[in-house]
Amino acid sequence: MILIVCDDDDVSAAWAAGAFAARGLEAMLLAGRDLADARCWRHAISASGAASLELTLGDGRVLRTAEVDGVLNRLASVPWSWLSRLGGPDVRYAAQELNALLLSCLNGLPGPVLNRPTPQGLCGANRHPSAWIALGARAGLPVAPYRQTSEDDPAALWQGAYASTNRTVITLCGRAFGDPELAADWGEECVRLAEASGCGLLGAAFAEAEGGWRFVGATPSPYLPAGGDALANALAAALSPARTPAEAVLA
Amino acid sequence: MILLAGIGSETPLAMLDAAMDELGCQRRLFHQRRSADCAMELTIDGDGVGGWLKLGDEKLDLAEITGVYPRLMDDRLLPELKDEPEGSPARRHSRALHDAFYRWMEVTPARVVNRSDPQGSNGAKPFQAQLIAQYGLRVPETLITNDPAEVLAFRRAHGAIIYKSMSGVRSIVKRFGDEDLDRLEAVRWCPVQFQELVPGDDVRVHVVGRDVFATRIVSDVDDYRYARQSGGSASLHATEIDDDLAARCVALTHGLGLELSGIDMRISDDGVATCFEVNPSPSYAYYEAHTGQPIAASLARLLAS
Repeated sequence: MILIVCDDDDVSAAWAAGAFAARGLEAMLLAGRDLADARCWRHAISASGAASLELTLGDGRVLRTAEVDGVLNRLASVPWSWLSRLGGPDVRYAAQELNALLLSCLNGLPGPVLNRPTPQGLCGANRHPSAWIALGARAGLPVAPYRQTSEDDPAALWQGAYASTNRTVITLCGRAFGDPELAADWGEECVRLAEASGCGLLGAAFAEAEGGWRFVGATPSPYLPAGGDALANALAAALSPARTPAEAVLA
Repeated sequence: MILLAGIGSETPLAMLDAAMDELGCQRRLFHQRRSADCAMELTIDGDGVGGWLKLGDEKLDLAEITGVYPRLMDDRLLPELKDEPEGSPARRHSRALHDAFYRWMEVTPARVVNRSDPQGSNGAKPFQAQLIAQYGLRVPETLITNDPAEVLAFRRAHGAIIYKSMSGVRSIVKRFGDEDLDRLEAVRWCPVQFQELVPGDDVRVHVVGRDVFATRIVSDVDDYRYARQSGGSASLHATEIDDDLAARCVALTHGLGLELSGIDMRISDDGVATCFEVNPSPSYAYYEAHTGQPIAASLARLLAS
């Protein structure tokens, strides 16, 4: 079974679930509200570090680690539907506890996980634009120059040039999808970026500037429908139990 | 040029500064309490990372900085900002300066001991436990649940158990006793982490590059770090660990992307080590002051190398 973990109303997750169903693959969609409504959590770690999860959902369904063959993980942070139920003086502490819980549970899931959680983001590192630009430059991408001073508002810098993005290249298991022109021109560099970032699935964003397209940032949870059928096929191949050894390694 | 960053009088920073003095290292201090006199520019493009850092009257080329030791406190809590209202120019400048400094530390080719991102695993203990075990170190049997019945079953299986937070907040170890049974139902509100109580002596292992310093702690409380607050005591002694365990500690530290770590473990009477956590910004000075282990000197050599 392919497990899709996502926040509520994630269009890409719904698209992936449809794509897996159309290819005859069993998939379970676990959204933010499901996590918030879960009746019973049982997450264990053995002395050798083996992790297991048994999660009894609000509707009685039970998710067990052993039933998972692969995971499409698009949950960037603790879902709002869960956070909104917290209250009182310990709310910030509780939020950090839930983040630690989800990070550990997601990390312990078996099979290929796209993407594995990190402390910087539950579905892969949600890096600052400055870090993406530095990684992009090292990967050989034509980057938009980054400048930050001690007079700049840090909150505004998180948006970066990403807000003006209008083209994305999605990389999965060493292949480039999405914008055909940019994928052809910069696909190899985007794949290098994905490898350096530790994200098997990555959306690299480009903005048009004088002299051509410039890399401005990336996301571990890209808008998947932009990859079309080719990406759907690749996702199914990477996450299904029948994946090839090469796909398993790359994922 | 080595850059030390934090509060100059804070013991780990002050001890490192003294050790670097003995080595004759060229260094500067980004003193957070003098943020008002500092400024910075960070640039990144196809040619790499550049910019400058102004400390008082001196302007440093960031490219000339080859090593960084950050011991930064939360800049929003600096005493100089205590009476500043939210959003004041002084607060905005301090926040912007520190943010630029953090961003630079994450991308500079200089040796940073340690960068911020690799420190993140310490904010999620069960996640970090899974990483620790990958290096062949035993970790405590752990259960995280919101089901009181599961907690009781875990206690029956292990005898004595403890509970502690999963995140980096309020991570004080408490033994689960009969007096806790009355409030066990409260776990239904939020899953809680329980662990087997591991017998043995506490050992703190500091890894600095490839150097290893082990300190044995003898204490009469469950969490020696809070011995005084708990009405107990703790005494520290330099000790040796076997080569295999030391090698695993070095591999673990580097595997987590760190160059300096403080690894907490317990070693049982029959020699089995169980690792609890890896502290990525250890307050090594406490251990050096009690044992005389030359951790600051090792750190100075690492930064200068």
